[in-house]
Amino acid sequence: MSYLEMRGIIRLYKESGVLANDKVDLSVEKNEIHAIVGENGAGKSTLMKILHGLERPDQGTITFRGREVSIANPLDADRLGIGMVHQHFQLIPQFTICENIVLGIEPKKYSIFFDREKARGRVMGIIKEYGFKIEPGLTVSQLTFGQMQLVEILKMLYRQADLLILDEPTSVLTEQEIKKLFTTLRNLKKIGKTVIIITHKLNEVKEISDRVTVMRKGKVAAVKKTAEVDRKELSRLMVGKSVLYDIERAELTRGLPVLELKEVTLRQKNQDMPLLDKLNLTVHASEIVGVAGVGGNGLAELEDVVTGLRRISSGEIYYNNNRITNSTIHELREQGLCYVPADRLYRGSSLRSSVKENMIITNSRNFQKAGIMSQKRVQDFADTLTAKYSIDGDTALPIGYLSGGNIQKVILARELEAKADFIVFSEPAWGLDIASSEFVYKKILQLREQGSAILLISSDLQEILTLADRVVVMYKGRIAADLANREITKEIIGEYMHGIRGDFEVK
Amino acid sequence: MNTFESSIPLIHNSVNIMTPFLLAAMGGLFTELSGMLNIALEGLMLFGAFFSVVFAYYTGSLFFGVLLGITVTMALSLVFGSITLYLKANVFITGLATNLFASGFTVVLAFHLFGNKGVILFQDLPELPKLTIPLLQKLPFIGDLFINHNIFVYLSWLVVIAAYLVIYKTPFGMHVRGTGLNARAIKSLGLNPRKYQLSAILISGFTCGLAGAVLTLNLGAFIPNMTSGRGWIALVVIYLGNRTPLGVLIASFIFGFAESFSNYAQGSINIPADFILAFPYLITVAALILHSMWKHYRVEAR
Amino acid sequence: MGLKKKNSELFVNTIGLLITLGIAFFLVIILIFILSDEPGKTIYYFLIGPFINKYYFGNMLNSAIPLIFTGLGIAVAFRASMFNLGGEGQVYAGGLAATVICLALPSAGALVGIFLAVLSAILVGGVIGGLSGFFKMKWDTDELISSFLFSAALILIINYFITGILNDPNSNLLTTPLISDKYFFLYIFPPSRLDISIIFALLTAILVFFFMFYSKWGYEMRMCGLNREFSRYGGINTAKYIVIPMFLSGGLHGLAGSISILGTYHMCLKGFSGGMGWNGIAVALIARNNPLAVIPAAIFFAYLEAGAKAAMLHSDITFEIAAVVQSTIFYLITAQALYNFVRYRKRVEV
Repeated sequence: MSYLEMRGIIRLYKESGVLANDKVDLSVEKNEIHAIVGENGAGKSTLMKILHGLERPDQGTITFRGREVSIANPLDADRLGIGMVHQHFQLIPQFTICENIVLGIEPKKYSIFFDREKARGRVMGIIKEYGFKIEPGLTVSQLTFGQMQLVEILKMLYRQADLLILDEPTSVLTEQEIKKLFTTLRNLKKIGKTVIIITHKLNEVKEISDRVTVMRKGKVAAVKKTAEVDRKELSRLMVGKSVLYDIERAELTRGLPVLELKEVTLRQKNQDMPLLDKLNLTVHASEIVGVAGVGGNGLAELEDVVTGLRRISSGEIYYNNNRITNSTIHELREQGLCYVPADRLYRGSSLRSSVKENMIITNSRNFQKAGIMSQKRVQDFADTLTAKYSIDGDTALPIGYLSGGNIQKVILARELEAKADFIVFSEPAWGLDIASSEFVYKKILQLREQGSAILLISSDLQEILTLADRVVVMYKGRIAADLANREITKEIIGEYMHGIRGDFEVK
Repeated sequence: MNTFESSIPLIHNSVNIMTPFLLAAMGGLFTELSGMLNIALEGLMLFGAFFSVVFAYYTGSLFFGVLLGITVTMALSLVFGSITLYLKANVFITGLATNLFASGFTVVLAFHLFGNKGVILFQDLPELPKLTIPLLQKLPFIGDLFINHNIFVYLSWLVVIAAYLVIYKTPFGMHVRGTGLNARAIKSLGLNPRKYQLSAILISGFTCGLAGAVLTLNLGAFIPNMTSGRGWIALVVIYLGNRTPLGVLIASFIFGFAESFSNYAQGSINIPADFILAFPYLITVAALILHSMWKHYRVEAR
Repeated sequence: MGLKKKNSELFVNTIGLLITLGIAFFLVIILIFILSDEPGKTIYYFLIGPFINKYYFGNMLNSAIPLIFTGLGIAVAFRASMFNLGGEGQVYAGGLAATVICLALPSAGALVGIFLAVLSAILVGGVIGGLSGFFKMKWDTDELISSFLFSAALILIINYFITGILNDPNSNLLTTPLISDKYFFLYIFPPSRLDISIIFALLTAILVFFFMFYSKWGYEMRMCGLNREFSRYGGINTAKYIVIPMFLSGGLHGLAGSISILGTYHMCLKGFSGGMGWNGIAVALIARNNPLAVIPAAIFFAYLEAGAKAAMLHSDITFEIAAVVQSTIFYLITAQALYNFVRYRKRVEV
């Protein structure tokens, strides 16, 4: 029996119909550093939230230290000695480090007052015991992300956790901070703690973990000893097998440049590393440029920048040779931008508005005369789209009542029908079954044949290889590779995505 | 010469006038820190005003009047808080409801008990005890500020000290503040944010009950809607006081002084009282706009 | 299947509203039993009073008129996800503006005068409301608090004008002089004070309904209210729909003030607008921000007050009992748990 055994964990999100965990088994040995890797949405965070009592599984058992346990809330987890650092820090920025650490189990004076001295003493004790260097009197809002991370770890140690869960702990840290964190984790292991670390960065897995569980689409794809597996293998396991689509991409000669990015840089306050670092990218007419990359490497930012939702820090953007660097999405839409966003529930649709209303958001002016909407023309339009894209649902009802796949179809229908000359697709086939995906892919290729310039941002490599003329791989906010889609494979793209190939530091 | 002499009652009156603001704002500070906009202060204060004078009248005792008045006010705040937190109603709307209920219900009850819905005078109420120290009283300024006030003034200062201690020196206060700053973090520790919000509302019921008692027992009378915006001003005082007990104390004094001055000025200087009364609102709205401008440009400038 | 879902939402809302009203009436009846020496008679007048003669009935409808306008004003803002809390001051300012125009134009034609009075009231209210919207758009200043503060300051300043330079020295009320009687709205239901503006109110509700659900601007405004990020993504100029709804909301409140002056008060009485703004919020909430539903909701609120007045005149309870019912409704009308409870029960049954 392992130290921790999770058996047959099932968790279905009823609202969205997503099966986040589908009979997941996880076993962690005492005193190991166990990595869980997988693409976005593979179900890693859900599994850990279940372990920490923030979510209840629909089915499955947890056995910890040889006994079956029920973890209904974080307090139960604390009592068992299971601590967790969330991806987004759960700290109170205005409080001091010391206050944050002892919050909820404060030492008391005269049984009602908070005993600041004793708290400070205990926190100092923990800090010394584990050999950290930090002044507990500092206010959390003054700290770097790395220091906040340390506060979260101290919080767990103060609560005497033996099993430490860290959910994507490195995503906001600098290189030096990551090195420090890993030293810390190794030291904790040395004194007998057990660590579970969620990540999707494979070099980190290799560097820190003893064993690794690979998750894909809610299931466990493999469990390996880290020493016995290389990054290529892991990358392959994460990406999965290919689905074959019955799709032919016609040979076309590309047209004139439509969208040009020149030295586009996007910086964020308090962060050294730019989110987008001097991007140069051109999309031509009759061309599909596929952008691949692991989450957190600038894909979402690229999406926002080319659609005018976010202002860039420096560089220039041109559209049909007109400078559009700081145009708003409102202005770009007027010039004919179409855009299918990755965030389909909050950006791509308005869940409480009817299907019809969702269908005309970009072109409501086509349905009005002197400001008055023609209900009949709206209805006709909606009926046409519903039939053409086989959308299942009443167009008068809020779109939120539809299934995820049907919502995606409404968004696609709206943006595809406009037949724009520049279209941005981000994860166009999310939530669609194979037949619907194929239909959408054919539509996208049709637009290409009609001369549209298309930017396709996707984490689905199969999708990119099926559709794109050129494949651009993003890594750490930069373009790691810009390849013609000939004789390249998922494996090659995967290696660029994970920084294994390319002119970047490789270990 | 003349101004110097009249400055003495001016400060003395300011301290008296500020007491209800100060008390209501001190309770409102707790709800504010717990992350809720408590606009029910007005109604709670009115409840306290009515019930404390009525109970004092029937029991013939100031102590029981105040005690029972506070209890009834806390009961109303419990209704307000439970509906807001446990029936998940909009805190703003339930706050309005509390104000409306208090203003209607007190009149309905006053009419039933005394057959009158105008000014209700209570004769034979026991006199409010005052602190008189003849020697110190003569000291300029200090004497005006600290001596010869009724007992409520001193009670309100105790409340300020207690509030300070609870907010900054106890785990409870830390949890209340934590709830307002990041309720999710509080929840992730296994603590219940709603518990702290309800406690804060009950505390505001307590201090508003006391604040109301100050109004009626000072006057020996109840007038419908006699709080006349003091609850709202208390809210403004919390913002102007930068959401700290000491800040609230200073802001309350400024308001008390402004009102005291306007009472005094009506006789001598030609500034209309309504303008002076409008002043705090205008200052607050200006502060609000400046604050949001500052925040806006700070984010922009990154 | 789709239709069933739509109906079930309506069902949930209706049942929730009925439970709310049921609790409110239950509480007030208990209260009457405790307080009244003749509870039967009191309850009779409270419930039936507004219908026993033309005078009461007409007056009830008359007091619903300003509530229709303020309810519409709140609903317009709510639909765009904006909160106008300055209704009280905007109504008051609209009333003052209309009065001032009428007093300044003693010799204008009746229609011209009325038109200018109403227009100025709409503009004054609109600008006051729009100002909060403007600050929100520009610097993200909380419109809820800023509109309240503007209004609170304004009420005091208007009080100053009414009791000061605009005061009627010949009256023993705190009021401006009476406006010329050619501007008075026609009474249509004597002996009650119900005037022709009720028709205007109904038309306005229909117009607002049409604007909200059948015009391009209404569509864009509602989309902004339901999901601002989505609207921005779709290419709507979202900044515009922060200011416009606040302007419209303020304008409707100003309109309410001018209609009250021209139809009912005929002079700007100190504090005449008290409660019209607050009650507009409740009316809009009961109507779930549907402009047509605002009409019955406003009449219902007026009914509560008329019933309480009748009970006061004919029995031994005071008018303020209406506030107890109104506040109970206020308490429960947004209680999510209540509606979820209905929703849950329904699911269990099916």
